[in-house]
Amino acid sequence: MTPTPSTTTSPTLTRRELLKATLIGGGLALSGFSLLQWLRGPLLTASTFIGKAHDYQENLAIIIRDGLRELGLTPTMVNGKRILLKPNLVEPHPSAPHINTHPLVVRGAIEAFLSLGAASVAVAEGPGHRHDTLLVLEESGLGDVLYEDRIPFHDVNMMQGITVPNLGRQTRLTTLTFPRIIKDVDWIVSMAKMKTHHWAGATLSMKNFFGMMPGIYYGWPKNVLHQEGIPQSILDINASLKPHFAIIDGITGMEGDGPIMGTPVHAGVIIMGQNLPAVDATCCRVMGIDPSRIPYLKKADQWLGPIQDIAIEQRGEPWQAVQTPFQLEPEIPAHQGISL
Amino acid sequence: MMINIAAALAWIQKHQLPSGGFPYQAGENARPDATAWAVIALSAFQAALEQCDRARAYLISQQAEDGHISISLDHAQAYWPTPLALMAWSNSSHAQQAKNSAMQFLLRFSGLHFERIGDSVMGHDTSIVGWPWIADTHSWVIPTSMAITALQNGGIGHHERISEGILMLLDRQLPHGGWNSGNTLVFGKELLPLPECTGIALQALAGNTERHSIQKSLDYLLEELPRLRTPISLGWTLLGLGAWGLKPPHTDELVMESLRLQERHGPYSLPSLAILLCAAQAPQGLDSIFSPHVS
Repeated sequence: MTPTPSTTTSPTLTRRELLKATLIGGGLALSGFSLLQWLRGPLLTASTFIGKAHDYQENLAIIIRDGLRELGLTPTMVNGKRILLKPNLVEPHPSAPHINTHPLVVRGAIEAFLSLGAASVAVAEGPGHRHDTLLVLEESGLGDVLYEDRIPFHDVNMMQGITVPNLGRQTRLTTLTFPRIIKDVDWIVSMAKMKTHHWAGATLSMKNFFGMMPGIYYGWPKNVLHQEGIPQSILDINASLKPHFAIIDGITGMEGDGPIMGTPVHAGVIIMGQNLPAVDATCCRVMGIDPSRIPYLKKADQWLGPIQDIAIEQRGEPWQAVQTPFQLEPEIPAHQGISL
Repeated sequence: MMINIAAALAWIQKHQLPSGGFPYQAGENARPDATAWAVIALSAFQAALEQCDRARAYLISQQAEDGHISISLDHAQAYWPTPLALMAWSNSSHAQQAKNSAMQFLLRFSGLHFERIGDSVMGHDTSIVGWPWIADTHSWVIPTSMAITALQNGGIGHHERISEGILMLLDRQLPHGGWNSGNTLVFGKELLPLPECTGIALQALAGNTERHSIQKSLDYLLEELPRLRTPISLGWTLLGLGAWGLKPPHTDELVMESLRLQERHGPYSLPSLAILLCAAQAPQGLDSIFSPHVS
């Protein structure tokens, strides 16, 4: 079963109630929701989960399991599934662990899925800047975790691909080539790091899938995608790949000049969900960023998923309670005007 | 598991496919990049001459009319294996036409370049022409380095494309030494070097620039070497240092240590094994393994 966002109006917000709210006080205008949207039809909604984690020594598997349960994923739904985890290991450097998804978050996800009966868990990554993926594994610390836990790793940069139609059609690319491993798994899980980005504004679960595009077809860096436009490519990849879940490492994220040269910032959260635009939008709010000012999220709204606060059911901690505004760089155009 | 040099060579030989090509990993179809690396590594040890000839013939079968070799026929724009094939055809009398065609392609082919505007956030000069990974994209350090190495190994000592490629590599060198994929400063911040890119760039620049212009990069690699054991980074570091006369005396030990790490990482890919083997065998840089024998 492929989880999909609900396409009905929220049980707590019927069309009659929406109209009433608009007529009464313009509350929907404040939340960014438009009457036009209401007239378009049923509101795409989704749920996300925010779990608090003070540091990486906490029992992250339990937090992730709790999140899965809160989001309605039962052991029956996970049982027998072949899970592929895709962390963000764009360019590890021993002195900067905040660049990448922390290996203990990956371990937590591995343990959580296996404890719920997943048939297998594997990890895949195709770093955008690094040709030596094994060194990436070692420098990130993830190599130790995967070796100890006997979890297979797949270097998708060098992997033969399968070509599919581009279902997003935001770029000029008529097809996209994904690594062939996507045919051998049931769930693809984005395990991104919570970071600002100097071209995209923020890099979260959806941008993370640049690392699923084999470098042998897209280059190092994945220049074919940059040429087509980063927001457009993000949308096309996610529309075509149809990932199933996202788990964001926001315990220590990156602020400033992300995704490599920024500074660590403690946000103390793990954010999860089945709908990636909703997860990314929630992450943005925690980071103090208005998701509607991030181009790929604005376009994804009510197409690939919801980004408006009113359309996202927040489970676990409310985002307002854990908000940690990430520092933005005023000289970076993608950072200008995006603060919440 | 290929835990020593002889075993690694034997593994490569054992995995030639009926087409003459070699796979990236065992159990897969033939791929041009893996095939080229197999020939380069076997040639370095003057091993399996007949197998190398069959592999060269496979590469010829993959060559397009304009002389390029792409990673697959379905991805014709991914031209980056062309320099590897050119090196694999080195010293082969049967592949002279293919070699000439590939060289002419490389001399014609470049990527996307544009004049840098005054307030560009990019630190490098985007107008200097090198070679890209994929058609219609920007030029980057690894494909430019491989093209220079392959063209010069193929007998083209001087050409304006090579001269500009050298300029491009020097422009992409980080101020504090080393190279990464090809960015220097972005939004005023200097990015970080990577050993594999630095080794490949140094390999290409040997004999093409003065030592003082790349000394910081040599220093960076020498500093990195003690911690490197993964095949690609270690292999290219050894080849890059070797190209400048700095091949470590304990190279064979380092290569053996890397081979033993397959116990942790699983079997290495063919290109990874090949790079390690070349690093062990080359007296200096990669081009030093191409002896003047003709097959």
